[in-house]
Amino acid sequence: MTAIGKGTAPAAERVPARPLGERAARLGYRYGLVAVLAVMTVAFAALRPAFGTWANALIVLQSVAIVAVVALGVTVSMATGGFDLSVGANVSFVVMVTALTMVRFNLTGGTAILTGLLAGLLVAGANVLLTVVCRVPDLVATLGTMFLFQGLALIITSGESVSAGMTVDGEPAPGRYTEGFLWLGSGTIASVPVPVVVMLLFGAAVYVFLGHTRWGRALYAIGGNARAARPAGIRVERYRALAYLISGLCAAVGGILLSARLGRGDVGAGDPYLLQAVAAALIGFAVLGANRPNALGTLVGALFIGIMINGLTMLNAPYYTQTFVQGALLVGSLIMSYTLTPGRRERHLT
Amino acid sequence: MAGPAAGPAGPPVVAVSGVSKRYGATVALRDVTLEIRAGEVFGLVGANGAGKSTLIKVLSGVTRPTTGELRLRGRRLDLAGPLDARNAGIETVHQNIDDGVVFGVSVAENLTLDALARRGPGRFVTRARTRAAARAIAAAAGLDVPLDAPVETLPASLRQRIVLARALARRPELLILDEPTSTLSAAETETLLAAVRRMAADGIAVLYVSHRMSEIRELCDRVAVLRDGVIRETFTAPVDPARVVAAMLGDDLAARAAAVPGGGAATGPVRFAAEGVRTRPGAEPFGLTVRAGEILGVTGLVGAGKTELLEQLYGVRPLVSGRLLLDGEPYRPRDPRHAISAGVALVAEERAAQAMVPTWSVRAHVTLPHLAAHSRLGLLRRRSEARAAARVIGLFGVRGPGPDAPIEALSGGNQQKVVVGRWLEGEVRLLLLDEPFRGVDVGARADIGRVLRERAGRTAVIVASSDPQEVLDLADRVLVLHDGALAGELRAAEATAERLAALMAGRREPVEAR
Repeated sequence: MTAIGKGTAPAAERVPARPLGERAARLGYRYGLVAVLAVMTVAFAALRPAFGTWANALIVLQSVAIVAVVALGVTVSMATGGFDLSVGANVSFVVMVTALTMVRFNLTGGTAILTGLLAGLLVAGANVLLTVVCRVPDLVATLGTMFLFQGLALIITSGESVSAGMTVDGEPAPGRYTEGFLWLGSGTIASVPVPVVVMLLFGAAVYVFLGHTRWGRALYAIGGNARAARPAGIRVERYRALAYLISGLCAAVGGILLSARLGRGDVGAGDPYLLQAVAAALIGFAVLGANRPNALGTLVGALFIGIMINGLTMLNAPYYTQTFVQGALLVGSLIMSYTLTPGRRERHLT
Repeated sequence: MAGPAAGPAGPPVVAVSGVSKRYGATVALRDVTLEIRAGEVFGLVGANGAGKSTLIKVLSGVTRPTTGELRLRGRRLDLAGPLDARNAGIETVHQNIDDGVVFGVSVAENLTLDALARRGPGRFVTRARTRAAARAIAAAAGLDVPLDAPVETLPASLRQRIVLARALARRPELLILDEPTSTLSAAETETLLAAVRRMAADGIAVLYVSHRMSEIRELCDRVAVLRDGVIRETFTAPVDPARVVAAMLGDDLAARAAAVPGGGAATGPVRFAAEGVRTRPGAEPFGLTVRAGEILGVTGLVGAGKTELLEQLYGVRPLVSGRLLLDGEPYRPRDPRHAISAGVALVAEERAAQAMVPTWSVRAHVTLPHLAAHSRLGLLRRRSEARAAARVIGLFGVRGPGPDAPIEALSGGNQQKVVVGRWLEGEVRLLLLDEPFRGVDVGARADIGRVLRERAGRTAVIVASSDPQEVLDLADRVLVLHDGALAGELRAAEATAERLAALMAGRREPVEAR
């Protein structure tokens, strides 16, 4: 055996050059999804001149903003190896709570935002209680809270939609959506829709949080190997609770934006956001070869879905093909990150 | 207990002749020859990596020997898989009991699992038929269990007996028991040993693998000792545990012990003291001290309680009893984070499972326990992280493709340098190392040992290993644990192979609960 004396600290030893095919696969894996997105955008723009306009870009962004915000929360919960199935129900619940606050109780828009955020954190608290305290597996625990809060949203509104002028106990409801609150859904800041601004802010925040702070590093460590994170001094339970709180907060913000956009509290309005948000986050695994939940990937994933649906709609593809297209996109990305990853690794979602 | 009577001299049931097994360049078994006779309990012992598991795998059909042959009752066996072995009459009960039972169904159904898997008349399983079959199986094994109870409500020992009863129901020629008592209490162990004796009395050949010398002595008619894939010695009852352990450890131990550096006269202040600690509830309490600048070795056979002790000192598991003092101050870790902030660090036993995050870079592994020190306002400072990684790489001579490469790209020894070295990045007052040299090559071992020696001036170190040689290479003093209790303490310079082997085998034991 070679004895290594002092002062022979070897620096990085040279890695042998990889064969061309493997390098191509690596490049393909890293930039494949982004390339497909670029090609698709150019193709849509060529086929339909109306697609490639600033106005349409804003429409696409607007359409994905809420999904993206919710998906960013899902991304954080996935980073710890968790899985938050309750985000859709959370959005629905927050929509109802904000609508009730303004319409039924005639309170201000600011109060509605506050109650909405608290409602979202309540859902998150239930998740924390179940997963961290009671040690129920994430997937089934959040499935449980999903049903609970879908149901609770129905109970607090007697199963009906909430809109201005609805009758409560035989009398018309006293309040209505305030102008300020509605601005969150349809207003603009320097011609950019407010939800898009919120999406960009949250995207940047989650990007920095997950990728560049010690808390994000700790979350990824737990997702990577919780058994190794604990002896390294990471308090796993606290971080898992934090992840669910962030996920619940993002869902609450998504719910507030959706409520403002709808201008009324529709029953089950947020439910479809679960699958779309999960899809966006999972597609994000394959962006830039991250092979793990990440904020940039999630934004690209949400955008991918939005651009595809917008473009196909312009090409007169019937609306009922949208779900299938999303599914195909998701399956393709999953194969990319689970099967085609260079030096494929074992990874577990839950 | 004088040990079992001299074994029966019947014809061999199983004959292993000239079996070798190679995995690539590694030789796991070399020219192993042994015979097990009907009605005999044949013990197999050896340190970790000695080749026990490989031999079990060969006999149970999991793997084919590279050369050599197996014979069962004189007929040559060619086992293509575990099912072949079972059909030939070789049953194996593995160490992990719960691999052998199906949770969520009743005892009766567990006892009759094999019938479920067999093709045969009667497509429908009726409760009555299952119960009748289960009752017969349980009765044959002398097992009294509630047949309708869900299997998970039974204690581990009874689950173990269910697995055994099922194996017996197939009327095996050879029964292989792989560390069957590792999760059982003393009383449960006694029951199991009695059951094994009955099986042998019924004429079954039993291959009994265990780390516990007291069981080996009580139960086995003959004992073979494996070391480095070779059967070094075979003992016939009555077996002297100290000689068995000496054979396990090898002859060069004495020579190495004499050449110990330092020789253990650390004069620093007492850095860490433990009083009245126990490895597990019910075990005998003991105390220990480590001085700053001292390396304390802890050795003992597998299951002696080394990991349990270290994990208590690090807050991974709650302190069973007693109190701890760190630099004279009371210290009672709630969790690893708390221990780390007090200046205590642990390099855990299983590197891949307990210290590594798959796909993460060397740099991220180095800084993971010290993220706060590498961040400002929560934002990680990459340059500070890179410097830390470079320090560890330099200090230990980590060889590999650099700090940004995934840790899997490093050899086992270099991985271990990283997970040991990362603790030296912080202000560590007491460093705990659990089996730090498992799967670590000689060169890396030397590098780690050199750094620990250098650092010992500032840090107190406790190194635990079931290989006393590893401990002797490094430590000033050695504690020997046996069966959860402190068997003795030796200055490294005074440690001879005989004394160590005797202590590890539990020579000190005055009484044994019988």
